[in-house]
Amino acid sequence: MALKGFASFAIRKAIAAIITIFAIVCVNFLIFRMVPGDPIRMMFRDPRITAEQMQLVREKFGLDKPLWEQFNCYLTELFQGNLGISFWQKRPVLEVIADRIPQTLLLVVTALAIAVILGTILGAIAGWKTGTKIDSFILGISLTLYSVPTFCMGIIFLLIFAFQLAIFPLGGISTAASGLTGFGYWKDVLWHMFLPAISIVLWYGGEYVLLTRSSMQDASGQDYITTARAKGLKESAVLRNHALRNALLPVVTITGVNLAFAVAGIIEAETVFSWPGVGRLVYDAVMKRDYPLLQGTFLVFAVAVVLANLVVDLIYGYIDPRIKVGKSE
Amino acid sequence: MRKRESLLALIGTVVLVLTLSIPVMQCAPAAEEEVTPPPEEEVTPPPEEEEIQYGGRLNVGFPAEEGIETLICDETWQYTEMGCVFWPLVYDQLWILGPAPDYEPLPRLATSWETEDGKTWTFHLREDATFHDGVPVTAEDVAFTIEYLPQADPAWAYPDCICEPGSIKAIDDYTVEFTLEATIGGPYPAAFWMPIFPKHIWEPYKDDMLSYANYPLIGSGPFKLKEFKPAEYIWFEANEDYWGGRPYVDEVVFRTYGSEDALYMALKSGEVDIIGYSGCSALVVDDFRETENIEVIVSPGIGMVWLSFNLYKDGPLQDLNVRKAIMHGIDRDRMIDLVYLGYAEKVDSFMYPELADHNPNLPQYDYDPDLANEILDEGGYIDTDNDGIRNDPDTGENLSFELIVPSDWTDEVKAATLIKEQLEDIGIDIVMKVLDLDTFYEYLYVPEEELYDIGFGEEEPGPHADWIWEFGRSYEAGGEGWNTAYYDNPDFDEALDKMLAEVDTTKRREYLYEMQMMMAEDLPYGFLVRPDLINPVRTDKFEGYVETMGGVSTWINPWTYFEVHLK
Amino acid sequence: MLKFLRELEKVKGFFQLLLTNKMGVVGLSIFALFAIVALFAPFLHTVDPSKTGAVENILLPPCHQFWLGTDDLARDIWSQVIFGSRVSLVIGFLAAALTVLVGTLIGLMAGFYGGRIEEVLMRIVDFFMMLPMLPLMIVLAAILGPSIWNVIFVVSIVSWPTTARVIRSQVLSLKERAFVEASRCIGASDSLLIFGEILPNVVPLMFAEAVLMVTEAIYAEAVLAFLGLGDPTTVSWGMILHFAFESGTMSRAPWWVVPPVACICTLILGFTFLGTAVSDVLKPGYREIRGL
Repeated sequence: MALKGFASFAIRKAIAAIITIFAIVCVNFLIFRMVPGDPIRMMFRDPRITAEQMQLVREKFGLDKPLWEQFNCYLTELFQGNLGISFWQKRPVLEVIADRIPQTLLLVVTALAIAVILGTILGAIAGWKTGTKIDSFILGISLTLYSVPTFCMGIIFLLIFAFQLAIFPLGGISTAASGLTGFGYWKDVLWHMFLPAISIVLWYGGEYVLLTRSSMQDASGQDYITTARAKGLKESAVLRNHALRNALLPVVTITGVNLAFAVAGIIEAETVFSWPGVGRLVYDAVMKRDYPLLQGTFLVFAVAVVLANLVVDLIYGYIDPRIKVGKSE
Repeated sequence: MRKRESLLALIGTVVLVLTLSIPVMQCAPAAEEEVTPPPEEEVTPPPEEEEIQYGGRLNVGFPAEEGIETLICDETWQYTEMGCVFWPLVYDQLWILGPAPDYEPLPRLATSWETEDGKTWTFHLREDATFHDGVPVTAEDVAFTIEYLPQADPAWAYPDCICEPGSIKAIDDYTVEFTLEATIGGPYPAAFWMPIFPKHIWEPYKDDMLSYANYPLIGSGPFKLKEFKPAEYIWFEANEDYWGGRPYVDEVVFRTYGSEDALYMALKSGEVDIIGYSGCSALVVDDFRETENIEVIVSPGIGMVWLSFNLYKDGPLQDLNVRKAIMHGIDRDRMIDLVYLGYAEKVDSFMYPELADHNPNLPQYDYDPDLANEILDEGGYIDTDNDGIRNDPDTGENLSFELIVPSDWTDEVKAATLIKEQLEDIGIDIVMKVLDLDTFYEYLYVPEEELYDIGFGEEEPGPHADWIWEFGRSYEAGGEGWNTAYYDNPDFDEALDKMLAEVDTTKRREYLYEMQMMMAEDLPYGFLVRPDLINPVRTDKFEGYVETMGGVSTWINPWTYFEVHLK
Repeated sequence: MLKFLRELEKVKGFFQLLLTNKMGVVGLSIFALFAIVALFAPFLHTVDPSKTGAVENILLPPCHQFWLGTDDLARDIWSQVIFGSRVSLVIGFLAAALTVLVGTLIGLMAGFYGGRIEEVLMRIVDFFMMLPMLPLMIVLAAILGPSIWNVIFVVSIVSWPTTARVIRSQVLSLKERAFVEASRCIGASDSLLIFGEILPNVVPLMFAEAVLMVTEAIYAEAVLAFLGLGDPTTVSWGMILHFAFESGTMSRAPWWVVPPVACICTLILGFTFLGTAVSDVLKPGYREIRGL
């Protein structure tokens, strides 16, 4: 019964996600038809390109057909995993993006994991001790950090730790042409990752503190906490076994939605520290006005967020049966 | 043994040429202020007696937006800084431009060449050159490249390598002959600035060369590609089997930095030894002067900056007097002081002032706001509605022009700010429109779409610069997108064609003088400045940086990489 | 009419409550400070911020004449920062106003009419909330071209759905309340119900949303300008930062970088404090709706 309920819940969620992705694909297609001027003309720096040559390229990119056919073609290609060809790099967009995904995942997963763990712990403490000095201290710090855009934080870090103190590298993912392998290489990468990761951690962690804190406040006001306390349980046990558990549920749901925001931090941090990931690619694509690539990165980010949300929804639905019932019936 | 001799001879030439070039360099007015003591290698005894040490790794930094992300032979090899410096290291050419000040054509893969009429060319190749995979370089490879590379991307299609169909012949293994569509006169042979590709590798991709990823890269140049990491670095190593002997350094690494600051810090800390192309901003030159182990080399620039007046668009800009007034209204001295901190010189033509083909008698448009006001008053451009801006007597509209400039050209954006400020004083309103580079070029290269009034122009003609005059060829006479001013003067077109086909240097010069005069009088382009190149280089490990116009590392100067060596 | 005034009293009460909140006071003070600075910009030891200066004044550190030093064209950074506050505040307020206006209108429609309209509108809202904001803003800004009006437009088009969702939830609960039912019974028209009965009750929510949107907008302007998508002819904090970053003199001239960063952060912090205070005052309902 429960499993059947979950299956139908999962299917409904999956269908919703697919519809959303389809809508994203449509929007993505349409936005890029709004580009002013002739994108083919913009592909070439050289003025001597002739009308025939441009026509050839236009045909190659399928831009000579009517809008509807272009859309059709775009969908078919997309289905086959073809996101078009980058104006700038002259190779498939998917390939260009795929080259950058591992670096971004490395940075993001590390930074977000640290941010979530630190943020949740600090937020839980603050929420549990609402109104105390510790609470105001943690709240003040995290509100402040949360208010500093990642790129501002990045610039300040770069200025202090890389330029003035010279204890961290000036950017990039590893020492150029170091020839390092194995452990040495990873140590080098970690050293390069420190500043970009910390800028994301501070900003994103601040947000998590705020989330957990308010969730904790709500949870600690609930009946079962009072009951638990009345039963004479130790304060730490109440916190661990009752309050925290319940407070974390909403935090988990929010994680998916928050990924949409985390994307901003990734783009900013990768740009400031020239981390060769997908975020930096967005910046490059903007600078080079490489519309297929920009389109591709946008699609990748949007789909990643939708899928992450789907996963979070499913996990949440599986853990907490109330959700299923509440939403499906 | 012969190899070593030829290399030494080459070094001899370079050093000699460099020594000769010192007085010329110092003549450049902008460089005067800062008389660089002659770099050490120029006063060292002749190379025959010197023991030059092999080894070391030369690290070179580039700004990230000028890096390359693939090894595809597209226009990035022409239009990005890293692109146009990297391939001359790994690919040999038939001949290359020698160092300053003569910039003579020097044999590379070709040992000699001849032509009777400037159309049919025969090149004799050296027999000891091999590709990095050991296969000898033959006439087949040269014929293949000349036939297919210009078709690969318009950026490779220059008149000196576009041949009549079917005319490219490998006469024997080491002789190649082809007939150009256009006549090439002048001091330089055909097929300039062209990498020679190995046919045995490229054959399958000949119809769409851009579809070949080109990795692992096989060239025939003095360096081999060791490793390429997109968005990170390119790693070269010395080619032990190079016909001219291996270069002195073991390795060269090109890498990119996300910001100018990071690049400068890298140089200061020794992470890189030179900045790959455009040197540093004049704002930080004092810092580098004070830094230990860094020498600042100031060279006359290779880039020229001008304004293109859109003459296609109807309006007051059609009136030569308005264009004259604008030029008299721009204070270029202040521009040089404020934007370039003195590191620039005024120019009046596409031709570098120190070259013999530069016409010294061109009319000058010096800063003279009174004269500018007078010209405009006489032309009837009076401020009739008292808003501080003059009005067009015909339409009554404000004398207001849209000036486009790309956001990437930070110095030109600053210059545009200054121009706007200065032209306000003579009652002309400038609306500054800062565009991204691609949109900028899109606007600029289609003047008939009337997308701009005045556009900034910046090109690096180089010493072998016949192509720059295409900026003046009218569209009726076969002009291509380069004519951003929409200049239309049949006399100019005629002189241009004659100049291109002329073999005799004196006659050629006459035509060039004539063309420069026409341009200066008709003012389709308002020439502004030629910024110096400020190259801070590290001197703790290496010496022997070679300087030409444009600095120690440009598309015309691979010499630094060939000559630099451990101290 | 009398009723409307009574509703307004409620709104006033909300603001009074806000002033008793410590964070609210800090936030409001920061905002007031910047508002005063922006308003009296010409009287605060400033010169024309885009006027280039003398050669010898290029990149001067802070001194008596130039309180925050000068940039690479010898322009006064103090004046740029002061006048930049105008741009940031204007963008912040216009974008917030536009966002909240559109969001409220759609939220009201969806909540009040329900049914098919609600279904469709909310699907759109859900869809927009799923999109990663910054990439969407970047894409739009790249296509529309650099100007502060485009920034305002871009921020609004990306942000209205959250507001719509919040307002709708509130409207749903208001609709069932006795006073709305009562008015409906005496035959009040839909528009009267919406604008006379329900709207005044969502004003505090609108205010809360507006506060959050201001931070969004200030941030968006700064980050778009930093990424090179700003309008270089407008003196804004983001543009100052962008020019400093491009000039290659950041490490030499920190006085060019620190003031705009400090201003962006302080102003966002002010509005974040204000926002936290507002949601504290409105709690717990608001938090639940907003998902905070």
